[in-house]
Amino acid sequence: MEFALETSPHIKRRDSLWSMLSDVIIALLPATVMAFVAFPLDSLKTFLIAIPVMVACEWLFVFFTNVPRGKDGKILPFPEWVKYAWGKGSVNNILAPIVSGMIFALTLPASASWYHVLIGAIVGIVIGKLVFGGTGNNIFNPALVGMLFSKLCFGAQWNLNQNSWMVEDVVAGGTPLGTIGGGNYGAIGQYNLFDMFMGWIPGTLGEVSKLAIIVGLAYLLIRRAADWRVVVGYLGTFVLLMGCAGIYITLHYEGAFTWLEFMGYEVLSGGLLFGATFMITDPVTGPITSPSRWIYACFGGAMVVIIRLLGALPEGVGFSILLANAIAPALDYHKWLSKGWKLWHFIALALIILLSLLVVMLALAYGDILQ
Amino acid sequence: MISKTTRIAIDPVHYEENPVETVPAPEFMFVPGENTRCRAYELSIKEGEHVYLYQKIGVRNGGYFKQNMFAPCSGTYLGLEKHTYRNGKSIDFLKFQNDFKDERDPSYHERSDEEIFALSPEEIIAISEEYSLVGLGGSSFPTSVKLKGTDHVTHLVVNGIECEPTLPVDKLLMENDAEELIKGLRLLKRCLGSEHIYLCIKKKYAGLVAKYQELFLGEEGMEVRPCRDYYPQGWEIGLIKDVTGIKVPSGALPRKQGVLDINVATVVSLYQAAKYSRPVAERYLAIIGDGLEKTANYRVKVGTPIRPLIEKCGYKDDGEVKTLIVGGPMMGGTVPSDDLISTPCLSSVLVYEQGKAEREHPCIHCASCVYSCPTGLVPAEIMNAYKAMDKEKIKALHPERCVECGLCSYSCTSHIRVTDYVRKAKRVAKLL
Repeated sequence: MEFALETSPHIKRRDSLWSMLSDVIIALLPATVMAFVAFPLDSLKTFLIAIPVMVACEWLFVFFTNVPRGKDGKILPFPEWVKYAWGKGSVNNILAPIVSGMIFALTLPASASWYHVLIGAIVGIVIGKLVFGGTGNNIFNPALVGMLFSKLCFGAQWNLNQNSWMVEDVVAGGTPLGTIGGGNYGAIGQYNLFDMFMGWIPGTLGEVSKLAIIVGLAYLLIRRAADWRVVVGYLGTFVLLMGCAGIYITLHYEGAFTWLEFMGYEVLSGGLLFGATFMITDPVTGPITSPSRWIYACFGGAMVVIIRLLGALPEGVGFSILLANAIAPALDYHKWLSKGWKLWHFIALALIILLSLLVVMLALAYGDILQ
Repeated sequence: MISKTTRIAIDPVHYEENPVETVPAPEFMFVPGENTRCRAYELSIKEGEHVYLYQKIGVRNGGYFKQNMFAPCSGTYLGLEKHTYRNGKSIDFLKFQNDFKDERDPSYHERSDEEIFALSPEEIIAISEEYSLVGLGGSSFPTSVKLKGTDHVTHLVVNGIECEPTLPVDKLLMENDAEELIKGLRLLKRCLGSEHIYLCIKKKYAGLVAKYQELFLGEEGMEVRPCRDYYPQGWEIGLIKDVTGIKVPSGALPRKQGVLDINVATVVSLYQAAKYSRPVAERYLAIIGDGLEKTANYRVKVGTPIRPLIEKCGYKDDGEVKTLIVGGPMMGGTVPSDDLISTPCLSSVLVYEQGKAEREHPCIHCASCVYSCPTGLVPAEIMNAYKAMDKEKIKALHPERCVECGLCSYSCTSHIRVTDYVRKAKRVAKLL
């Protein structure tokens, strides 16, 4: 009798990459559904452009990187090439760009034009992922690269104040963060915290319902498609640093709002919850050991606070995650890579938090930021 | 998913419930010429010569130790014949014709218990060396080398865990050979002078735990330690840490910290060697797996051909390609032929249906392998270092600590065979 040879182990686990990607898609569904409910036609336009464009770019990549050559070295004719590339691709080459496409679409506002979405999607997937070598090799989150490219190029043409039909009173103001931008913290209170939680505020498609995002986060954590350490680190550092800044700001504004109102405002506004759930938890762009993941997440959280408080832009989540992605490979450098907590991890963590705190408090006190 | 794997998910099977069938000695019995640790051998008998049961017939050279070879039956030595050794290679086996008389050398006498427990530690170690006892938990490390040493052993951890999923062999031994196990422990206590002896059994075998707790009531310094049922609970360094709290660095000798880990079957073999003046002569053999019509547990004499036993169980006739594994499903190796011979370290034969070959997807850094690795390595980074042939990086990541438990491949979300990469990196690191 013939027996097959293979290396140990001889048992295979049941879940797989496509089940993990499907879990992310399912977690994105509540936010997607709410986006369609609030802005039906605009969501349709954005999703219908973002997702197919990203999938198409990915398959073009698969096509061009799997070139079958005949025995004489010449490239095989087109139909065989297509068949060969199709065999080399897998369902993950469909699911991964769908995930990136959905996240990218949810970061755009309803007023983005079709060509903003198109160019952003192409730049996002090509420069954010494919030039690095495809899934698993990218350093930056592709949806974020696309979103920031669109924002920087076309952001001036966006009307972030476009309200969905769900917002009853047409508020003649900007997005919550835009309102308090430039230090105008007195405007806190203009938006009801409950409205912000439910998402009945101006903003991007993904911000329509924070409740939907939280449901998605719970699903991801239960199914273990996201590492809880990254979420807790990111949100925890944000709360810690913004809390300290909040004490100062609340005192400065002498009773216009309470500290809790300020914290609620900051946590529920902008892309913070969305970024904490879907962007920073992307395993490819983050480090691979548990202590490094804590440092990565805390760095991201610190960056959000600094950019929001001190930067010219009202929204800091996108940049903060890109900056955190940039330091992730350094945290995993082999000379100091370690699975367990070592001294340098503690020192790095302490340095990040203390330095950020120092920068924030000094800027608030002497930086002439608050009105 | 991003999670630490501790349990291997297998459909629950209870192979330990199969009754144990004692297989009588067959007509032809075999002894391997070379084995895992000894590549060369010299015979002291000639073809056609009559041999007594357990007569010394030759010596194997193992580099730093010599291993005696013994006849598995009384009868005639016929010559060399090629069969498959447990590592899959086809090697020369010494073929003996059994005359079914079980005649021992006339000068032999069975030691009584008084004589056994009057042996001095040096005599016990000499017995283990004479009868070439080896670690029967899979290591085949010479027991005499293990027992010799100047460092005092305060804690003796007796490993009855058998963490490989679905294997029943050590459990059967602990159930059926309790008296010999306890006498072997007393003998080891005499040899090493250990103050604490811990018999480690999985918590879920409550009956076995209770049985040994009762049996240990009269013994001094011996206790039962029920352990959690996770993989790899039976790993030497992990078990020592769980039971005694002592952290043995990877690659170091546990004896230097005053602790030793030994398998239950090795303990029984030590007692039997002292009593019957013989090498490892009997072992439990489990022939299991879902590629068989029915599974069975046997008690075989070392030297018995295994193929007839597997054929008695019968391969499933469904046209599926099968794999034949010696050892356990996580760490065992596949062999190309079922022409195996029972040797002391061969205690289980698995037949699995191979199933579809799985596609490997790119690594997504989910870190399941990092969380699951019991030795604290970062397997995904070792894989990247090996792929890039970055020698400095490979060395800095310490692949030599890997025990090849297979958890990284098992827990990989992208179904990458990470263990293979770490094995290759190990070989590269050795050359650096």
